Amino acid sequence: MTPFDLKNKTILVTGASSGIGRQVAISANKMGANIIATGRDEERLKETIDLLTGEDSQYIVADLLEQNDINQLVEKIPSLDGVVHCAGIVRPYPVKFISTDVLHQIFDINYEAQVLLMSQITRKKKLNKKASIVFSSSIAADHPYKGGALYAGSKAALEAFSKVIALEFSHMEIRSNCIASAMVKTPMFETAETQGTKERMDEHIKKYPLGVGYPEDVANTAIYLLSNASKWMTGQTITLDGGFLLGDF
Amino acid sequence: MEDISEFIKKIEFEIDEIESETINPETKFRELEEWSSMMGLIFIALIDTEYDVTVNGDDLINCVTVQDLYNVVKSKIQ
Ligand SMILES: NC(=O)c1ccc[n+]([C@@H]2O[C@H](COP(=O)([O-])OP(=O)(O)OC[C@H]3O[C@@H](n4cnc5c(N)ncnc54)[C@H](OP(=O)(O)O)[C@@H]3O)[C@@H](O)[C@H]2O)c1
Repeated sequence: MTPFDLKNKTILVTGASSGIGRQVAISANKMGANIIATGRDEERLKETIDLLTGEDSQYIVADLLEQNDINQLVEKIPSLDGVVHCAGIVRPYPVKFISTDVLHQIFDINYEAQVLLMSQITRKKKLNKKASIVFSSSIAADHPYKGGALYAGSKAALEAFSKVIALEFSHMEIRSNCIASAMVKTPMFETAETQGTKERMDEHIKKYPLGVGYPEDVANTAIYLLSNASKWMTGQTITLDGGFLLGDF
Repeated sequence: MEDISEFIKKIEFEIDEIESETINPETKFRELEEWSSMMGLIFIALIDTEYDVTVNGDDLINCVTVQDLYNVVKSKIQ
């Protein structure tokens, strides 16, 4: 037994149909957790579940932009020992063209959905004592880039929200932390590549002393945050950037 | 879609770094001195906002002249 053990813990993972969320489900399950995987794409959720061992993991399809889906999801889930929020989108947009539509497109899923999900989960008393909440932030929250007004803003908002969760539920020893990653190889990475250009992304990744990140790197940090090994850590953000922000460009 | 002169007017008006009446259909926009990745984002957002059409970074890279870009936007509208 290691301090990173997740045996008998039930963990809800959003965005579990792809990328980081899928890997968090797999890695946490390997450490003994039962997973509730959620996302919109049923086929890809099934693929995630097929990669898990044990009988107690399941998937629940939910579009987190629909309050009804959130309510039903929370209705169906058992009490949780952890939540890892991995749903999110990226879309660069220069300030001068931001409209209500674009603003909502990004903030609704990157911020609002996670706030409403946490509000339902806590209201319905679905968090066990000592539960651990993990949010997917980005280094952009503190180190933004041109075109990143909405993405960086949504992640900064999420980091603030995480701290409030840490405060409001500390009496139950519930903890809340963020993982702020630089670029990680997932389908989102490919989207970001086509939104800019491959050339530009290659240039960017060259500035990472340890190279690009992989979903396992984030998932292993999530394991730490979910496990009792991090029982004194709350309201914090762990940066994972392969050394990028050391700034030796 | 409106004709290319309107398209050019919009680019010249919306993109601060490009003065009016400095580009034409043959202009190789990525070779402009002012070209930057930010300007690429502005082109993409301008086209999204004005024509409700999504072009991506690779579409931009595949275009040499303003005419090429106009043609891409036009083909995506249809
Ligand atoms: N990859 C990176 O470089 C990177 C860096 C820093 C932070 N992050 C953050 O890490 C998180 C995961 O990123 P990723 O790279 O794993 O992205 P990804 O592969 O694109 O996965 C995104 C996930 O979000 C889910 N999702 C999107 N809209 C949803 C909605 N309306 N309702 C429910 N689920 C929805 C998707 O589910 P469906 O496909 O089933 O719809 C998918 O599972 C995101 O918050 C991202 O901002 C990523």
